[in-house]
Amino acid sequence: MCGIAGYLSKRDAPEPVGRIMLDMLTSLARRGPDSAGMALFRSEPAHRDACWIRLPETGDAEAHAQRILAGLATVGKVGEVQRHHGLLRVELATVAEPGAIRAAVERGSDEVEVVSLGKQMELVKQVGHPDGLAANIDVDGFRGSHAIGHTRLSTESRVDLTHSQPFWARGIADVATVHNGHITNYHKLRRHYEQRGVRFFSENDSEIIGVYIADKLDGGLSLEGALEASLDELDGSFSYLVASGDAIGFARDPFALKPLITVETDDYVAIANEEIAIRAALGGAGIAHEPSGHVSRVWRRTDSAAPVAVAS
Amino acid sequence: MSSVSAARASVEIDASERPVREINGAIRTALAEGTTVAVRSPGARHNLGVALLTPGTVTFGGSVGYYCGGMGDGATVRIDGSAGWGVGEGMLSGTVIVDGNAGNSAAASIRGGTVVIRGDCAARAGISMKGGRLLIAGDAGYMTGFMMQKGFIAIAGNAGDALADSMYEGTIYVAGEIASLGNDAVVEAATEEDQAMLEAAFAEFDLPRPGAFRRITAGRKLWNFETHELETWRAAL
Repeated sequence: MCGIAGYLSKRDAPEPVGRIMLDMLTSLARRGPDSAGMALFRSEPAHRDACWIRLPETGDAEAHAQRILAGLATVGKVGEVQRHHGLLRVELATVAEPGAIRAAVERGSDEVEVVSLGKQMELVKQVGHPDGLAANIDVDGFRGSHAIGHTRLSTESRVDLTHSQPFWARGIADVATVHNGHITNYHKLRRHYEQRGVRFFSENDSEIIGVYIADKLDGGLSLEGALEASLDELDGSFSYLVASGDAIGFARDPFALKPLITVETDDYVAIANEEIAIRAALGGAGIAHEPSGHVSRVWRRTDSAAPVAVAS
Repeated sequence: MSSVSAARASVEIDASERPVREINGAIRTALAEGTTVAVRSPGARHNLGVALLTPGTVTFGGSVGYYCGGMGDGATVRIDGSAGWGVGEGMLSGTVIVDGNAGNSAAASIRGGTVVIRGDCAARAGISMKGGRLLIAGDAGYMTGFMMQKGFIAIAGNAGDALADSMYEGTIYVAGEIASLGNDAVVEAATEEDQAMLEAAFAEFDLPRPGAFRRITAGRKLWNFETHELETWRAAL
């Protein structure tokens, strides 16, 4: 019974999206406090990429970090470096493709993983209640345009950083997913992708959604198209959110098995499993609406008019 | 926390910072005293106004979460906002009126009374209804009226896929489009008496006058197992 939340501001000026996401996730933590995370977006790309890397849980962290930085130096110019518990954040000036950056970092270790890459996105996660996000990482001070977040109830896989959400749509900069539900054709899809050389880091079925979205975007589909295709190609129960550099969107399984509420005002779009999270974070404005099943929708920062709903 | 007006005719409860059990206790006490209740700042919390067993009116000044008005017997529950899953579920009698939209399973298993949704319903509204009325002024989502047994659902807007799937009995009326019918659902024109009854019901709650309804009932093919209808059963199960 995970909690998922999303927020997209329609205003030009930066918003305290870190604080908003924290308030939403704190409200949803009743649904599961095993781990929590969020993908925060600034409205304009920074000059350099922010690369978030999961460090091995064992061994000398400093030695791991030095080895990772040496790897990154082969694909770009390393800037500021920060440690946030199990994660390393590295600013990188590079023209290398995400795949090459991943290869430079992940080569030679099964325990090192690039969890996020992009000029707009900061993807942070941790084990435990969402409260810890404010304590361990300064999400409270983050101002930007949009965000998605997750608080987890572990049902079928381990509770550790590797299995925590959000999941980066690996290989596509500035795209991340959060999922509530259970993807029942996970093993079949995973075999399909592994045969094509895709590497998985966890046993969490939600990881497949990031891989799936990355594959669809890589194949030329729009975010709207990728979400719509997933309604028929993913099996099981799912309400999941995707965020990209200028958009957030949701997809809901045909049986509408997992809750999903949207509230849209002139100033923002907010999405959560339960309306209580939206009210706790943003007050009483806007009318809550729960879509039916087999529905996906995307809101873009650049939309001037009301976005088109995709339903079939 | 509570303020009682001079005439003791109405009481206001501020729901913020109070446990749900305490809020519901205060509502029950007020209704037992014949007092109308207004609940401020419900904050879309769950289980508000459940098991209200005396007549009287409680109004929630904003959205509510899951199961609001559930297991009621006689009270009128007004929601000035949207409602989460299972609004009014298991109600015996009384009225639940949602000004906004309703989440999944609105009026699930109600045995009597009326649930009114001014906006849209998500999936499975009226699932397993055993009596009563569900009036939906907007659209209804996937599998509305699933395994319904008695009573009626009236949808002024459009109905989603698998409408009236595996109904036993009861009636569903739809004025708008039907995306698709569920197993063993049969469509026919509503009678003039049906139409007049439904227009009166919508007028009773100040809902916009609906268009011409069609009537959906069970084909009763699923009542008894027939080997030569195996395909129908495969689809239903």
